[in-house]
Amino acid sequence: MAVAAVHSGGIAEHIHPEPQGFVRRYVFSLDHKIIGIQYIITAFVFFMLSGLLAEAIRTQLLNPNGGFVAPGTYNEVYSVHGSAMVWLVIIPLLTGGFGNLVFPLQIGARDVAFPWLNMLSFWIFPVAGLMLFSSFLMGAPTAGWMEYPPISLQGAAGTSMWCAAIFLVGVSSTITGINFVVTILKMRAPGMTFTRMPLFVWGQFATAPLLMIATTALAAALAALFIERQFGVPFFDPTKGGSPVMWQHMFWFYSHPAVYIMILPAFGIISEVLPTFARKPVFGYKLIAFSSMAIALLGFMVWAHHMFTSGLAPFLQLPFMILTYIIGVPTGIKIFSWTATLFGGKIHYSTAMLFAIGFIGLFTIGGITGIFLAAIPFDLHVHGTYFIVAHLHYVLVGGSLMGVFAGMYYWFPKMSGRLLNETLGKIHFWLFFIGFNCTFLPMHWLGMLGMPREVATYDPQFTFWNRFESVASYLMTFAILIFFVNVLWSIRNGRRSGPNPWGARTLEWQIPSPPHYYNFKHIPTVYGLPYDFSQPLPYKGLEEELTDSPPPVAAGVH
Amino acid sequence: MSVAAIGADAHGHVDQLYVETRELRLQGFLLFLISDCVLFSSFIFAYLYLRNSGQGWPPPGIQRLDVAFAAWNSVVLFGSGATMHYALENFKHGNFMKYMRFLLATIVLGAGFLGGQAYEYNHLIFGEHVTWWGSGIFGASFFTLTGMHGLHVFLGVCYLTVLVLQSAAGVYTKGKFFGITAGTLYWHFVDVIWVVLFSIFYLI
Ligand code: HEM
Ligand SMILES: [Cu+2]
Repeated sequence: MAVAAVHSGGIAEHIHPEPQGFVRRYVFSLDHKIIGIQYIITAFVFFMLSGLLAEAIRTQLLNPNGGFVAPGTYNEVYSVHGSAMVWLVIIPLLTGGFGNLVFPLQIGARDVAFPWLNMLSFWIFPVAGLMLFSSFLMGAPTAGWMEYPPISLQGAAGTSMWCAAIFLVGVSSTITGINFVVTILKMRAPGMTFTRMPLFVWGQFATAPLLMIATTALAAALAALFIERQFGVPFFDPTKGGSPVMWQHMFWFYSHPAVYIMILPAFGIISEVLPTFARKPVFGYKLIAFSSMAIALLGFMVWAHHMFTSGLAPFLQLPFMILTYIIGVPTGIKIFSWTATLFGGKIHYSTAMLFAIGFIGLFTIGGITGIFLAAIPFDLHVHGTYFIVAHLHYVLVGGSLMGVFAGMYYWFPKMSGRLLNETLGKIHFWLFFIGFNCTFLPMHWLGMLGMPREVATYDPQFTFWNRFESVASYLMTFAILIFFVNVLWSIRNGRRSGPNPWGARTLEWQIPSPPHYYNFKHIPTVYGLPYDFSQPLPYKGLEEELTDSPPPVAAGVH
Repeated sequence: MSVAAIGADAHGHVDQLYVETRELRLQGFLLFLISDCVLFSSFIFAYLYLRNSGQGWPPPGIQRLDVAFAAWNSVVLFGSGATMHYALENFKHGNFMKYMRFLLATIVLGAGFLGGQAYEYNHLIFGEHVTWWGSGIFGASFFTLTGMHGLHVFLGVCYLTVLVLQSAAGVYTKGKFFGITAGTLYWHFVDVIWVVLFSIFYLI
């Protein structure tokens, strides 16, 4: 360079040049907000596809001897449904989606630490998703989302495709995890100490290391399964000295932390929505923040509670049972804090708030059945039955997905500058809430009566409740259609939201909706927690954000 | 500090953006190494699990490992760790020619280690008891783990070669040499992984 380099104030002040043209702005974008929206849109597309698979499952189960699809196809359908919902819908929505969209704004940063890696990790995701769905063309996996050998060793070619696809989403998650950890550690605005971070940031901060570490462990298991299938290298095949139980260890060492990947960010969303609409400081800020970290840590020590029936040595079973009970404690603390936040608040029942309150109720049910399952005698009775299906849907749909919806209603104005329609929103909430409970509540007693999961037919004595569930699941799907209609309609016709429609206090609401590509004209200074509604905002340096003053100059060229 | 200030140019001006970017990259790179380490750990877990699954170890009918040869080969790899360390130190102190010599030595030693590994593989695969990837749980874990490690060494050698070319072209300056730091960290990481692999395959 011939000219003297501009000496900028460092990375926090660094601004990318304004992106030019459609492709740079919306396709290969480096802007964390656009990447977040890309994640959200892509994940919702996969959500529709795996939702269709779910309805195929429920349609099959209208009759005790099925008849909608062949039993083999049924196995493919639920296997891809589960895999896609976990890896292509919930995880990307909560981490790459809402994570990218919101937390850099909340810490007062101009972007994440590695924008290029961010773009890369997004673009891996749709490719992996298409690979997963393309496995139907070559015989999709049939051993459920956990693909236990030896069935997964015998599956058609699509099982190898499944390994490759999940491996790739894993790479994408790992990159996102690294990116988020560094961003949160290094890019917070001046004054934003750890104990002043919004709780959504804490949720991401607890999740990101799990993305980094647990996902890599899964990558090893997937690679091993792949090479065993393709090259006959024995890891899991017992006839060649391998061990199928080893797969279960490797898989659950990832997948138990993964259930926390799918819930900790949703906890974060709920912890933002509740104080905003109760107009009260969140109760027990530190309890919520640190219990997330405790959950993330303990989450690595409980995986074998999925394996109580797998011939685990008894001296190992007991510690895993006790540790699983212990992990219920930080979870309970959170539920207590949220309820206490509501207590005595001046509650405004917006749609986002309805979803947040619904979350508390449904997640509590799922958490309590989790504690049941941790008790070995009970688990031996219901393992492999619909009771497990009920538990996992109460935490993943009643919890994670309700959290996603709360986040959508809450942050849609930040993405688009317009509000989602509240009337449609409330119809969406009530139909979804009723449909969900009618679909999954009966599974508890069906499971206790012994109806096995992942089977294409069932004993005729269960017919009534299965039909009831299927009909309810159509209602739930209808509710989700209303949501999509709402989004598509509101994007053009929704009421303009202005910068801060909810009177919320975190940083992302102090700048225009949608924010400029540089986020902040001046990086603000933070003086306190965002949740104290009786006090003035704890920020300085935001005076110009909502004025017409010129954008900051892109300094620090490289 | 004995070293020239990181991020300073010849006139002592500090480029704040560079300093902070470097810090981000360093941290990101360390996190990458941690997750890479988890990848190795999972396979190591698999190996130990299979080894202790009550079938007797070593399984019958496999070629025995040549511990002495592998020990010499390890010395070559650890030697390359030392030369890499000196390369970085010399660069920091401005001894460019010495730096280049140590860097080249590292590449040669790394390639030598790979050659040794190829010899060893050859011995196992075409030895008197054919032992290869698919022939039982020993082959599966041994070739997967050492193969993964070998791939890491290979990528490292490639990267160091790029470093040589970049350095010759003057990409790195006294205050700005993150590429060299990262290469050194990576190389030490690969060394440490080998210590673990050597102990669990050859010593226990
Ligand atoms: C209070 C905390 C929780 C406890 C004590 C708990 C306990 C358990 C136990 C013991 C099982 C194994 C049941 C079996 O297969 O026999 C299980 C299954 C499962 N849990 Fe939880 N859980 C808790 C929270 C969660 C959360 C927050 C999520 C996800 C967001 C979750 C997702 C799942 C899933 C997906 C399965 C089923 C895996 C399968 O077999 O397909 N759980 N849980
Ligand atoms: Cu679990």
